[in-house]
Amino acid sequence: MASVLSLNQISKSYGPVKALKGVSFDVPEGAVFGILGPNGSGKTTLLSIILDVLKADHGSFFWLGNPGSPDQRKKIGSLLETPNFYHYLSAINNLKITQSISGRGTASDIDEVLKKVRLFERRKSRFNTFSLGMKQRLAIAAALMGDPKVLVFDEPTNGLDPVGIAEIRELIIELRNSGHTIIMASHLLDEVEKVCTHAAILRTGELLTTGEVEEILVDDDVVEISATDSARLFELVRQLSGNAVLDQKLNLVHITFPKGTAKLDEVNRFCFQNGIALNHLLLKKKRLEARFFELTGN
Amino acid sequence: MINLLKTEWLKIKKYPAFWWIIGVTALSYPGINYIFHSIYDNMLHRNNQTARITKALIGNPFAFPEAWHTVAYFSSFFVFIPAVVVIMLVTNEYNYKTHRQNIIDGWSRSQYTTSKFIDVLLVSLLITILYILVSMIIGYTNSEGAPDTWSLSYYTALFALQTLSQLSIAFLIGFLVKRAFIALGVFIFYFLIFENILVGVGKRYANDIGRFLPLEISDRLIPVPAFLGKFDKESYDRALAAINAHIFYTIILTAIIWLICFRVNNKRDL
Repeated sequence: MASVLSLNQISKSYGPVKALKGVSFDVPEGAVFGILGPNGSGKTTLLSIILDVLKADHGSFFWLGNPGSPDQRKKIGSLLETPNFYHYLSAINNLKITQSISGRGTASDIDEVLKKVRLFERRKSRFNTFSLGMKQRLAIAAALMGDPKVLVFDEPTNGLDPVGIAEIRELIIELRNSGHTIIMASHLLDEVEKVCTHAAILRTGELLTTGEVEEILVDDDVVEISATDSARLFELVRQLSGNAVLDQKLNLVHITFPKGTAKLDEVNRFCFQNGIALNHLLLKKKRLEARFFELTGN
Repeated sequence: MINLLKTEWLKIKKYPAFWWIIGVTALSYPGINYIFHSIYDNMLHRNNQTARITKALIGNPFAFPEAWHTVAYFSSFFVFIPAVVVIMLVTNEYNYKTHRQNIIDGWSRSQYTTSKFIDVLLVSLLITILYILVSMIIGYTNSEGAPDTWSLSYYTALFALQTLSQLSIAFLIGFLVKRAFIALGVFIFYFLIFENILVGVGKRYANDIGRFLPLEISDRLIPVPAFLGKFDKESYDRALAAINAHIFYTIILTAIIWLICFRVNNKRDL
């Protein structure tokens, strides 16, 4: 699959602080590519570099095989960090400026995108009268102008209420299904899990891992068991799996298996055949958050 | 270029503060000239010896062709009003972070700086049109018979160049400082006080070195009106003779200012 964006050893420092340390990855065409990481991990810096707002100290990037250029950016719908509009202008007049600079879309497209983000009724209101969520929706409308095939969203659900968040997720899934490539920075794991096909995880400017979401954020199976003598139970199940942990406080033993491989009946039989009757047996999914914390070391 | 102009027009045409300040400028230019004209009128309409001597000495600085010169000189005191507009137009972009959005949406950094140069040109053009209107009205209402209307109309070009240069300095301050109030404070303090002190000190102690200070370079495009020149004929003739050199200095300075803006904007993080 062709790469829409290729990053090659991108580094960026702010004085002594190294914001990005030689980050390289490829974004395949048609992917919803999540850039995931805690606050301060370098997500926005990375997006700012590919949109020419910041200059990289080292490294290069290519959009569809070509170095970044104004003409490339015109074809990309982008929302970076905060919604940036002229406060004294209405929604419609702000989008006219977006349209004039990017050349994307027509006057009738402005109405269409405003309807799509539910701002059509407020199209003549000044930007400075908008709530945070409305500002965010206007920024998404600007990015959607002219239906660009590539979209860059930095924290797209920032400031939105639960209904707004769900709508934006729906929109992203809709865009993905219609063949758009979306590059999206987020610190919300749930968001990434629900909409992204691929992801890269950053920690303090370093790329920890990248690939398909299914591969990266594997949510392991955890079997939770207990018996009257939990210490003896723990010694026994260690013969079954090296990934067993004893929680002495709760008198529980946790055994971790790769996703989809835990078999409760086998665990139960094994214990019973070795003289221990279980009084508690439960299959739990390892939470995505826990996996993320493992990766980022938080 | 047309696209840049069109986009800047979209930003300006519905910006109330812009039109308010242009309105204030539109009142201040005729206002200051009217005040000096009234003072002159009051002095000459007294039926006494002083009035007769004054009239014989200074003639009518508000009649053609000298009206072009007189109006340009008095109007140039008020360049700090359109400078407010220029500083607001550039600092607004930082305040709203639209200087980044314009690049994200597809302008090159040079196109962005060119668009700001267009803003400064537009404001300079508006101010020059205003100056022409005031000069024509004052000139026609004060001239009798068949006046020599156009011989000093070249002051229009000098006024336009001076305005462009001084507004470019205001732009540079806004561009580097990024904050509207600080930039305005720096410009107005420098324009009204600091440079005047430096020029005065330079004249007294350093062979008039102050003529090369940023605002003074273009201030000397428009020397004092002829009637004031009569009080010190030698200095006045020197000032007239220096205009050509100052046209050259002003063009060089203005070019350097914009080169700095282009270079800084192309290199720095936004």
